Amino acid sequence: QEGKLLVRLFGRDGPLSSTVWEDASVRSGWVEGVHSMMHHLPALHFLCNGGGIDVIFTLQGDPSLFVASAAGQLLVHVLTFSVESETTKPLGTKDCDWPACAQMIIKHIEDSLRSSSASHIQQSLKLLSSLFRSCHATWTEVLWLGIEKQIESFLTEETVQVQHMLANLLLNMSWSPVFHESEGNFWPLVTSALEHLAPVQAGPLAVGILRLYKSPQDVRIQALTVLLQPMECILRAASQPPEYAGLLDESVGDLTTVESLLSSKSSCASLLCQTLARLEELLSLMRSPIDLPYTSLLRSLTAILQFCNGFLRPASPLGSTISRILINCFRVQRSALDVLAALAEQKCCDTVMGSVFDVLLAYLESPNTSCTVLKKTFQATSKWLVSLQELSCSNSQWQQAEKILEDVFLVLQKHLCSPSWEVRDSSLEFLTTLIKYLRDQDEFRQSLLSSEVPRLTESLLEDPESYVRASAVTAVGYLAFITYFAPESPVTGNQSNKENTVAKLQEILSTDPEGFPRRAVISIFIKWLRQGCTGQLEDTEQFVSRVIQTVQRDLDWEVRLGGLELVEIFCSQTICQLGLRKCPYAPVSSAVPSSIHQNESLQVFCRANLFSFLYRSLCDCDKPIGQRACDILLSLRCSFYPTSTLKDSQETGDSPSGQGLAWLRRTLRQGSLAQNFPTDGSNGVDFQDPENMIIALGTIEFEDLHDELNRCSDHVEKSPQSLLQDILATVGTVEENEVDCY
Amino acid sequence: MPEIKVTPLGAGQDVGRSCILVSIAGKNVMLDCGMHMGYNDDRRFPDFSYITQNGRLTDFLDCVIISHFHLDHCGALPYFSEMVGYDGPIYMTHPTKAICPILLEDYRKITVDKKGETNFFTSQMIKDCMKKVVAVHLHQTVQVDEELEIKAYYAGHVLGAAMFQIKVGCESVVYTGDYNMTPDRHLGAAWIDKCRPDLLITESTYATTIRDSKRCRERDFLKKVHETVERGGKVLIPVFALGRAQELCILLETFWERMNLKAPIYFSTGLTEKANHYYKLFITWTNQKIRKTFVQRNMFEFKHIKAFDRAFADNPGPMVVFATPGMLHAGQSLQIFRKWAGNEKNMVIMPGYCVQGTVGHKILSGQRKLEMEGRQILEVKMQVEYMSFSAHADAKGIMQLIRQAEPRNVLLVHGEAKKMEFLKQKIEQEFHVNCYMPANGETTTIFTNPSIPVDISLGLLKRETAIGLSPEVKKPKLMHGTLIMKDNSFRLVSPEQALKELGLAEHQLRFTCRVHIQDPRKEHETALRVYNHLKGQVHSLLVLKDYSVQHLPDGSITVESILIQATAHSEDQGTKVLLVSWTYQDEELGSFLTSLLKKGLPQGTS
Repeated sequence: QEGKLLVRLFGRDGPLSSTVWEDASVRSGWVEGVHSMMHHLPALHFLCNGGGIDVIFTLQGDPSLFVASAAGQLLVHVLTFSVESETTKPLGTKDCDWPACAQMIIKHIEDSLRSSSASHIQQSLKLLSSLFRSCHATWTEVLWLGIEKQIESFLTEETVQVQHMLANLLLNMSWSPVFHESEGNFWPLVTSALEHLAPVQAGPLAVGILRLYKSPQDVRIQALTVLLQPMECILRAASQPPEYAGLLDESVGDLTTVESLLSSKSSCASLLCQTLARLEELLSLMRSPIDLPYTSLLRSLTAILQFCNGFLRPASPLGSTISRILINCFRVQRSALDVLAALAEQKCCDTVMGSVFDVLLAYLESPNTSCTVLKKTFQATSKWLVSLQELSCSNSQWQQAEKILEDVFLVLQKHLCSPSWEVRDSSLEFLTTLIKYLRDQDEFRQSLLSSEVPRLTESLLEDPESYVRASAVTAVGYLAFITYFAPESPVTGNQSNKENTVAKLQEILSTDPEGFPRRAVISIFIKWLRQGCTGQLEDTEQFVSRVIQTVQRDLDWEVRLGGLELVEIFCSQTICQLGLRKCPYAPVSSAVPSSIHQNESLQVFCRANLFSFLYRSLCDCDKPIGQRACDILLSLRCSFYPTSTLKDSQETGDSPSGQGLAWLRRTLRQGSLAQNFPTDGSNGVDFQDPENMIIALGTIEFEDLHDELNRCSDHVEKSPQSLLQDILATVGTVEENEVDCY
Repeated sequence: MPEIKVTPLGAGQDVGRSCILVSIAGKNVMLDCGMHMGYNDDRRFPDFSYITQNGRLTDFLDCVIISHFHLDHCGALPYFSEMVGYDGPIYMTHPTKAICPILLEDYRKITVDKKGETNFFTSQMIKDCMKKVVAVHLHQTVQVDEELEIKAYYAGHVLGAAMFQIKVGCESVVYTGDYNMTPDRHLGAAWIDKCRPDLLITESTYATTIRDSKRCRERDFLKKVHETVERGGKVLIPVFALGRAQELCILLETFWERMNLKAPIYFSTGLTEKANHYYKLFITWTNQKIRKTFVQRNMFEFKHIKAFDRAFADNPGPMVVFATPGMLHAGQSLQIFRKWAGNEKNMVIMPGYCVQGTVGHKILSGQRKLEMEGRQILEVKMQVEYMSFSAHADAKGIMQLIRQAEPRNVLLVHGEAKKMEFLKQKIEQEFHVNCYMPANGETTTIFTNPSIPVDISLGLLKRETAIGLSPEVKKPKLMHGTLIMKDNSFRLVSPEQALKELGLAEHQLRFTCRVHIQDPRKEHETALRVYNHLKGQVHSLLVLKDYSVQHLPDGSITVESILIQATAHSEDQGTKVLLVSWTYQDEELGSFLTSLLKKGLPQGTS
């Protein structure tokens, strides 16, 4: 019976004649079905003998992309499975004996490659690509030898448009040890492909080759040539006669193809964008296996950026054509700035540093720079400023650096007042990044503090756009590190300014209608607390207490979560400072008996009203809050009950506080509603009473609560197959409801 | 042949995850980038790996266009731009750009909170994504690059929803997004001009439905709210911050005013201001009535609807509360629901669809006992009602839009296959255009026949009309001239003018042919025989009628431009060679005469 069913479903005459076959999801399901069968030899034989394999061949050209792609994958799987499970002796290069099923697929590949139909050739190339990518067995080489000549011919034939697939195929092969270690014809073929393919198609192949450690030197040179040729052309077009050394050896390659692509309107921008993207990819590798001519590359990049903003209009015919094409081309600007940012991390570019900043500043200052380009300019500038700082430490180039910083802050002032929120926001983010990386530099601090930037930044705390307010909060928070919290800062002494700023942030936390600024405030408070900026313990206690009073009412659960994080840090710092637990960072271990400390820290926590916040959070309607609160309470218990001397819950007895605790435990067990949680004191639970709280910590079953909170998730259910079915299930079959989704 | 290719990655014979790829004249555009509410896994986003097999997305796609702020149209955008790596331009209208991040943020919060997912886009990613967005105005032609331009039209549906026309050269596609052809309480009806696109991609949510008037549903809604309030119950309406909520607010506000009701109506804190802010900011996007009365009274500043404080939920007596979020999955609406669920006098009205797994979904499917966060059983005694207030065009509306835009082809998305099939037939019958309905992942290719406008010179036009009959308005007329393609323009001028303009000398191209004839006589005698033969034929053959055959003094013969000369054969005295030549204008006649001569000369024609 099963056999019959199989024949009906997967046999030659099975599904094809049925009308349901027209439904792509049926075909897709069929492929999936065959795929899951192909782990057993009988199934393989059934497929090959029953004509199923022909159906898969047909499905390679299916109108549905999903089905076609799945069919290709399936063929790869069947081929691999067939060869690996049916061959007994290793396949030799001569008169090899493929198993029957593999034979069919290989013949199909060979026939398709020889056919005149471009789509058949493409299907086979795709199939080979994924085969060589996924399977690195030696038999793949035997297969390759049979089709090598045919593939080679595609490189020179212009009739078949399969260039990018060829590049992809060779790329996948180059990563397979079977080929990249072979003595055969593979590497010459790659070299020839790099020469013959259009630069845009050869780019990905070139990067792939350069990422390999084991590729032959001459192939690497060819690959590098492909990537650098457009940059070389730009360099030559920018200055005729050339002022500086080029990127490439004079002898390498003929530039006419690239030159003609660059002088055409339709191909110039896309060639440059793709080349730049490849270069960025190469630069982003952790350990770049190649040494690029960084200085010349930078010159070429600055030339591109100057073509784009109209600063460079060379007299050479190619130069003037390119400058006409590239002017105001945002796409190229963005790509070039990405590469420029990546190059800042290479430490060998000091000779051209000046011209890089000239270009960056020109972009920052120009009113024509678009928002997205400006953002990338900011990113590149911050990276170059960091690298300038590192350089100037050793080079005493600070005079130059000071001037640059002055200019940067001047232009930043302007952007902080921009009418576009995107620009204001990116400017604030830029400022935050600068402070993050350069705050230890005296010159940086001086330049910043003597500019209008800090004042403007504070004024943006009242920006109408919530994103900008949030970024302003973060920037102000970081500014505080170099003003109020830096010991040597001239502003440090100004206590009232500091209090004003803290009060302003507190106000945002309690009144801002949007979540982002409130979340930004709580993260800044967390940062301050972590770095010990909030002052003495007593100040900190009040500070934390005030913050959680505000935060616990917040509608945004991420703000409440931030509040919990603040509490967590405060608790561990307090415990460390009072020496309750051996703090790994404590300078001297305390000699005072631990019970005194225990008492002291408990009192601090109760005074700050932490417990009320923590227990409420356990009942929060947002799950992450409950989980976090539970974790904190568990760790507090560990601090107060270091050994397993937990109290027996019966011990608490019938006293009023005992009843209160019993109520608390009941409430928590039931997971009662946050809003039903009593205000402090009612029902006899006094969250500010240390004695009560230490008993609660010892008696409440936090482990059980923790498990429950982690387990319960009524929101993850099996995905419905279709949204429409889901709606039907929900609201019945009233037709109108079927489609009323959004 | 130029073609337009359309591949839906989502919304092909389906609702949700709208994402349609369009290739037009070498440009690639993505229309919408939505998520599917029904899935929690990979399937919730379109599979972007199919967009391009090699190369970067940014190089392949010229732009992304978002039609409106609903998540099934923009929910995957931050994922696409910040995680998949698209770095190119994104277009949407100003209101969509303003409201979109709020919904995305809401969606992110739910996913991260309820489902505990960590590998999801962050707030920072949403912001970075929104910074890449270029906002457009209605009817503003935006030049994406030198060739590609887009233009937004009003679509109704929700605040800021737009249809987009995508144009490259003379080829164009219109994508409707979701639209509504009838105005509602706060928005107007969709409108597009007669732009005659090559292809109209339209939603087909209500493909087979002619909807009853919205009034009915509104009456029903008001009746239910009124009854509950009358008997002292509380009504909870879970809504999303923007969209349907405002429509319902206007509805209740007017009803309260008319009926002089006193029960308080509340709206979630924070959201009233925000919603108000956006509606004020984008007042031009609302309907005429609201715009007109705005000066005297802002429809969104409600007299009866006040900001809600969580303490109000415990107040005794009737009240109506609009609270977010809309599916009762978290936050304020869920808190209020928990408080009120136990009282049978109360009512919850769900004005939209709820995703599986949410409390909203559970109560709508009839569950009366809910396990809240696994620990407490909540018994639902309050009444639960579902009301559909979605604003899509119905079958009539879709036909109306097609009539308005006059497309050459129609493609249906955002609907169910069976219903699409029905609408497809209707469209093909009524408008005699091809209608397509590809499934997800299927590519539809539409061949276009771009008409290329050509300027014609006045001189040529005058000459042609002088020769021919007077021109008729609707009848195409064939004209001969020289086409000059110069500086991106096409002009048809007379050959003389073309020569003059281009500074060229005229060359005449003649077709030649040799015909061998058995004739021992002298050449001029042969020529005479040919002349006589042709003369005779002119009288007998209809084809040659009205042509004059001439025998020139040099012995050659002409018929129009055809020239025939007889020469001796170099080797064979008995054979004469006839050299026949003609210009391309007389191609037909030349061929005819040659074939006639090839048959030989009749005897006795000397």
